[in-house]
Amino acid sequence: MKINEKDLMSGLFLILIAAVGLWLNQEHTLGSARRMGPGYMPLMVFWLQIGLGAIVLLASIFSDGEKLTRWTSAEIASFVGGIAVGTAVWWVLKSTGGFFGQTYNAVGTGMLAGFLVLSIPQGWRILGVINAAMCLFGLLLEKMGFFAALVGIIVLSCLAEREHLKKPVGILGCTVFLLVMCWFVFIKQLDIRVNLWPQL
Amino acid sequence: MELLLTNLAHGFGVALSFQNLTFALLGALIGTAIGVLPGIGPVATISLLLPITFGLPATTAIIMLAGIFYGAQYGGSTTAILLNLPGEVSSVVTTLEGYKMARNGRAGAALATAAIGSFFAGTVGTVLVAASGPLLTQVALSFGPADYFSLMLLGLIIASVLAQGSVVKAIGMVVFGVALGLVGTDVQTGQQRFTFGIPELSDGIGFVPVAMGMFGIAEIVLNLERPEARSVLTNKVGSLWLTKEEFRRATPAVLRGTVVGSFLGILPGGGASLAAFGSYMMERKMSKGRDQFGSGAIEGVAGPEAANNAAAQTSFIPLLTLGIPSNAVMALMVGALIIQGIQPGPRMVEAQPDLFWGLIASMWVGNLMLLVINLPMIGMWVKLLQVPYKYLYPAILVFCSIGVYSLNNNVFDVYMTVLFSVFGYMCNKLRLEAAPLLIGFVLGPMMEEHLRRAMLLSRGDVMVFLQRPISATMLAIGFIALALMLLPSLRKGKDKALAE
Repeated sequence: MKINEKDLMSGLFLILIAAVGLWLNQEHTLGSARRMGPGYMPLMVFWLQIGLGAIVLLASIFSDGEKLTRWTSAEIASFVGGIAVGTAVWWVLKSTGGFFGQTYNAVGTGMLAGFLVLSIPQGWRILGVINAAMCLFGLLLEKMGFFAALVGIIVLSCLAEREHLKKPVGILGCTVFLLVMCWFVFIKQLDIRVNLWPQL
Repeated sequence: MELLLTNLAHGFGVALSFQNLTFALLGALIGTAIGVLPGIGPVATISLLLPITFGLPATTAIIMLAGIFYGAQYGGSTTAILLNLPGEVSSVVTTLEGYKMARNGRAGAALATAAIGSFFAGTVGTVLVAASGPLLTQVALSFGPADYFSLMLLGLIIASVLAQGSVVKAIGMVVFGVALGLVGTDVQTGQQRFTFGIPELSDGIGFVPVAMGMFGIAEIVLNLERPEARSVLTNKVGSLWLTKEEFRRATPAVLRGTVVGSFLGILPGGGASLAAFGSYMMERKMSKGRDQFGSGAIEGVAGPEAANNAAAQTSFIPLLTLGIPSNAVMALMVGALIIQGIQPGPRMVEAQPDLFWGLIASMWVGNLMLLVINLPMIGMWVKLLQVPYKYLYPAILVFCSIGVYSLNNNVFDVYMTVLFSVFGYMCNKLRLEAAPLLIGFVLGPMMEEHLRRAMLLSRGDVMVFLQRPISATMLAIGFIALALMLLPSLRKGKDKALAE
């Protein structure tokens, strides 16, 4: 039997999200059709989503058999590992004091660690590195300042492209150029409120 | 008529102020640049620039953002013609004939046709917006909550019916978008819904993180995963002048394209790419040079290019008159207006005449600027095309990151964007469309409000949606559109049409 795997997963995804939504929606009062409470619209929306997800799911079984790319064992391992490491880092850091306990820094560090683990196999490299770079930016920006955060995100994101690794001079040029440009556009022209240098 | 002229004169007064002219030019330049560059589109760019527009007056901000949108329609054709690679989704069909013309040594003529056709269509589109805006506004003022609800429902249905791939999946994404829009404080009771106690979520999930994550960052990842297919430009642009023969053939195609594009642009869920495609199909069937299609027929450039720009202008009509976005870019415009404290809708003409008429006048001014930017200055854009993506993507990423942070000066938004970028990546792999989600996300909260109001007024009677003639008509159209698309034969036709 052929199964359209993309549709199968899409259907499952829609149903799963909606089921979680319905479960969370239990705490909201429904109200009546005349005077709808906060829970009325979510209830309708999520049931509709479950219905649509079910149609997608059923249709996928009788369809042309579009396959998802198979994950290698390294990819599965780094995917699960990334989630596990990220959650663990967040869990440990959020109760510690100091920098990592503040605002969303524990979340950011957890996500950074998770994406770095994810990027170990070649298949996840680009997805992991690009998102890790953005997390690094979020982590550095307020404490270490605008320029340090920029250097972090640019250098890390450049590692996603193999050609940059062969010619590291390109990374340097890219970094200098973007530092000057971002300073001019965001600080000089738009005057956004952000620390430029590390706050020690 | 006289009133229209007075209003337009007022609009030109606004649009021609130094500040507005500067920002219209800036928008047009940025629009052309991102249009030329494959891999970054107007949705990502506008969401990126949204936070930057905070400091500007509302009119100036919207003028610039609009310039980016229609500017991208001009720029997209350059890449399509010279590189056989669509700079924008809407210029996909331009590659078919445009690149062939370029290989025949008529690249200059193709570029000129595209630019002049776009300008003509843009002018017509602008006039249409100006003329129909106030009329439709009058109609819209008689809309009750039930009518609004049905209209938005119709918009969502059409948006998903016209999306690529499976209709059911697209509707699923629309519904999920609506669900995402529910996060935050319930307007009527003040109860927190799905916020998990996170204070940043009490205002709802930010529009910019969703749009930028799914259209900006996810796009970078996907582009990097594909090996770069861009070949370095070798062929010369050649003369920009059209021969008499070419001019004679292009003119009717431009006219037809303008009509098709103007109509498809107004349609909720329509927009520039659909218009370009519709016009291409029409030219292939109707034009005198149809036997030359496939070997560089000028009609295949003139028609679609006129159509996509006409549609880019007329897609402002539902937004300006009803406050309803017809595509993802217009959804961003709604976001921009709301950020500025303006509720888009039929009252905008009265309450914000500067914005309404200034925007319309600036569209024409912007189109004029684009003609200059794109024809004499074509060499500059060709140079821009030679910047390899490996230097481009760090810049896009950095701009997105700073932009999203400066939204609220909160790193929370940065992490939110990361989550949506992963989600966008996943959607792409599962062939779930991101654009319907975005429209659902914007319309969701408005729909809930109108639904609750309508039900309150009707004392809980659902029949109100069928009793009011406007509402009933909308629902009937939506139902028919849905039914038609579920017919297997028609669906195959659409799939084939969109796949080409």
